[in-house]
Amino acid sequence: MVMEFLKKYPYDENIPRRTLWIMKPFVVVSKLFVKAVIHRDVAILYPYEDLWMPDNYRGRPGLRFEKCISCGICVRMCPTSCIELVEVLDDAGNTVKRPQINLGRCAFCGYCAEYCPVDAMTVTPEKELAEYTREDLIYGPRRLACDKINKNMEVHLEETLMSDIKNGNSERRVNAFMTDRPILDSSKCISCKKCEKVCPVKAIKMIEHGVNAKGRPILWPEINKDICVCCHNCVDDCPKSALHMDEVL
Amino acid sequence: MVYSSILDWIHFPDVMSNMYYPFDVYNLPYDISYKLWELLGGTIAWLINLLLPGNPVSTWLICDEVVNMFALIIFMIVIFLVVFIATLISLWEERKVLGRLMDRRGTMIGMKGFLQCVADGLKTFMKENTMPKKVDKMTYMWTLSLVIGTSVLIACMIPLSQRWFVVDYSTGLLIIMALFALAPFFILVSGWGQNNKYSLIGGMRAAELMISYEVPILIMIATTALMAGSFNIGDIVNAQFNSTWYFIPQIVGFITFFFCATAESERTPFDIAEAEAELVEGWQTEYAGMKWGLIMLGDYFRGYVACAMITIMYLGGWLLPWDPLQINTYLPELTFLIKTWFVFFMMIILRGAIARVRPDQILNIGWKVFMPLSVVNLAIVLMLKIGGVY
Repeated sequence: MVMEFLKKYPYDENIPRRTLWIMKPFVVVSKLFVKAVIHRDVAILYPYEDLWMPDNYRGRPGLRFEKCISCGICVRMCPTSCIELVEVLDDAGNTVKRPQINLGRCAFCGYCAEYCPVDAMTVTPEKELAEYTREDLIYGPRRLACDKINKNMEVHLEETLMSDIKNGNSERRVNAFMTDRPILDSSKCISCKKCEKVCPVKAIKMIEHGVNAKGRPILWPEINKDICVCCHNCVDDCPKSALHMDEVL
Repeated sequence: MVYSSILDWIHFPDVMSNMYYPFDVYNLPYDISYKLWELLGGTIAWLINLLLPGNPVSTWLICDEVVNMFALIIFMIVIFLVVFIATLISLWEERKVLGRLMDRRGTMIGMKGFLQCVADGLKTFMKENTMPKKVDKMTYMWTLSLVIGTSVLIACMIPLSQRWFVVDYSTGLLIIMALFALAPFFILVSGWGQNNKYSLIGGMRAAELMISYEVPILIMIATTALMAGSFNIGDIVNAQFNSTWYFIPQIVGFITFFFCATAESERTPFDIAEAEAELVEGWQTEYAGMKWGLIMLGDYFRGYVACAMITIMYLGGWLLPWDPLQINTYLPELTFLIKTWFVFFMMIILRGAIARVRPDQILNIGWKVFMPLSVVNLAIVLMLKIGGVY
């Protein structure tokens, strides 16, 4: 038996003898026992106790109803397309559009909160979401509210752009897409004013550029680049694809 | 009508003065049960006498013979209950300590998790009591009863102190070992009778394991008896009181016996008979509901007995470790139980530390390591004995 052991584990200066010691598992286990008795163990009594959660823990998304500008970026960015804009009444009684989330599909990635230009959408530490039916898992705009929302739950996508580095400015930008702005190809524009209607922040104003052959005014959109939140709504709704997004710095 | 006070019916006489007293020396559990029946039977006799004054039943209930008879019945219950609760505590200890070894909490139901045993018992009791169609019914039921019965019997036969015993027999350890060694035959027959290949393999393994580990155990029991000069458990403990605890001269035997006893009571890492990973539940596969629950309880009874044997043979039984005032009689039962639970704790650490060994490795270790070691232990003791040290 001893010879077999020595044959299997020949003497080697590099291997500490302790690692082959038969008592090692006992020592390890006893250490763990003492540690688990003195300190708190890893397991918690779940329904009675709760794990400590960081503030920016990505639980279900939360919505601050008043802050939302119904731009629809969250709808566009959602990888599982569980968000859609629905019409609800706001506090003043006007019909507005606000996101509604199907938590049965939600992947809890938090992209909606990251890309929200006004931080109306946030992550919340709420994770106890069990319901009896799938319909109950659809959270309307009012139900998405969360009273625990604080500043740390506004998560941001921080990124350094290649164009920034080329310009010698390597600071991280809070939202990389905020540098994009709609650019007008004026030869295609038919002056339909659709972009002005769909802009959620009223950044587009139609400016007259003379009259056409029939005597009607030619209206081209002028974009206020300070207010624009880069929501792509004008680009998507343009009937003649006269607008496209471009990075402006 | 003459009113008789209840105190006329209840009087606590000295137990030893009863002419039918069944023991030679003072027995504490018998004393307790005797006094319990004095209270209970005296109250019943007094009540009957109130209704029907001067009837013979009342006097019959508290005469020497009848009190002795009922005291013996209560005595059985007391002895069993103490062993039962001690075993449940060791079960609770296993769950809690094993939980700590795995960095979790173990059972948490009531009284720091102790009531989980009760809940488990109730649960198995509520289960449907099914029996497969093609089993051999006689062996199926009888072997089960015998395995559980012998386990409970030996657990009750372990004396907790010199005043807490059932029979003060002079072949103590040998009888316990003989009953302990009966189980593999029942397990083998049960595995055959269940008409199931897993059960049969499990039964075979249990039989081979137990038979190969009984030889070193018996040699070491003989060694201890040689050292103490008697097989009587009380004599062995007294011999350790007069010299040292036997784990110091017999350190080789102590370690070997510890592993052998773990294997003999079929606990991990020697649980090849149950082997959840490869055989479904070993020889217990076809037993359902309360039958299985009782088998588990029997297993823990056997673990308790193995720990108690180690305590008696090597750790000084009910002796205190440091006893300058010679107060050896101060709660010796509790001392004994605490030592037993400590040995059980060591078994749990062993279970948590080491993975299960293969059947061929187990036989190798049993015959090629433990067997020579026990003979070496015997040689050491012989030399000590001849040299006049003990």
